[in-house]
Amino acid sequence: MAKYLGLDKVGKLFQIIQQSGGLRAAYKKLYRFDELKIGSLVGTDKYGNKYFENPYYFYGRNRWVEYAHHQNMDYDGSQIPAEWFGWMHYKTDLPPIRDGARVQHKWMASHSENLSGTKEQYMPYTTTKPKYEAWDPKKK
Amino acid sequence: MLRSASILASNASKLSGAGVVPQQLLKIAGGTFGPVVTRGQQTLPEIKPGQESTVPRKGYSPFGTKQPNLVEWSVARLDDLLNWGRKGSIWPLTFGLACCAVEMMHIAAPRYDMDRYGVVFRASPRQADVIIVAGTLTNKMAPALRKVYDQMPEPRWVISMGSCANGGGYYHYSYSVVRGCDRIIPVDIYVPGCPPTAEALMYGVLQLQKKVKRMRTLQMWYRK
Repeated sequence: MAKYLGLDKVGKLFQIIQQSGGLRAAYKKLYRFDELKIGSLVGTDKYGNKYFENPYYFYGRNRWVEYAHHQNMDYDGSQIPAEWFGWMHYKTDLPPIRDGARVQHKWMASHSENLSGTKEQYMPYTTTKPKYEAWDPKKK
Repeated sequence: MLRSASILASNASKLSGAGVVPQQLLKIAGGTFGPVVTRGQQTLPEIKPGQESTVPRKGYSPFGTKQPNLVEWSVARLDDLLNWGRKGSIWPLTFGLACCAVEMMHIAAPRYDMDRYGVVFRASPRQADVIIVAGTLTNKMAPALRKVYDQMPEPRWVISMGSCANGGGYYHYSYSVVRGCDRIIPVDIYVPGCPPTAEALMYGVLQLQKKVKRMRTLQMWYRK
């Protein structure tokens, strides 16, 4: 009966609010990520991003990430490191913490996000001598 | 390319000969077998597992809150408000020229669902904020593109989508193709790919939102 009246959805809402940690925290989460979901924590990467999964949601939306708290509203898809990329994109069902086949070396570079639009952005430059020289009218 | 080279030339002391690398890209440290060159790029701050983050939380505004006086602070906040409004409703004009247009349709479909970011396709340039140039721009189409761009109201942005629009792509050496739509109109976001996935275009739209968030419309007006 409750299902026909849609009361289970209301129950779900209360569950979500409870898992988010109260009404205030739920509102903050909704403001930050534009959606409120319930799910099980699959893992946390070393940058502080949390990965969740819940097969209740439709394929493509059943895995999601909550970006590190300190990023606030400046989160970006490129902040997901390479290890978790495959899991987020359904290339593999094994997250890096459960996959024993992932290699780890000391020399492996730390992840950097897309820095376009910042001072650190990638700027292409040429390593060869230009084929022509611009005319400098001041020079004699 | 030339512009970026000139910026680098002003940063680094000289860019005349071959093999000059700007200092900020590479870090050189002493090693046992001679100097070790490592990438000097900024990486994400790391947090130890099981510990609370000690990294200070970023504020909302890209301008910060430490303006020298109250007027400048208020102008910066007004800019924030303006940018918030603008980035929340970026209306693109469809300019589908080739196969990229199919991917552009995909971001409007339920799977990628651009409507949730307030991105709604408009058919008229007079109602559009951004033009997505999707596909090969031919010489014949170039005047039409310029005309359509000129009809858009300010502020306006351009997303160049796919290799063909970025730089001619596969048709770079063709007799009838413009080698990149940035020869006709100024481009804000380049989306690489042939064709780019719908995801890539979506990311391009989000990058444009970030760019809009950094706009200093009122602050520049006040400075003048």
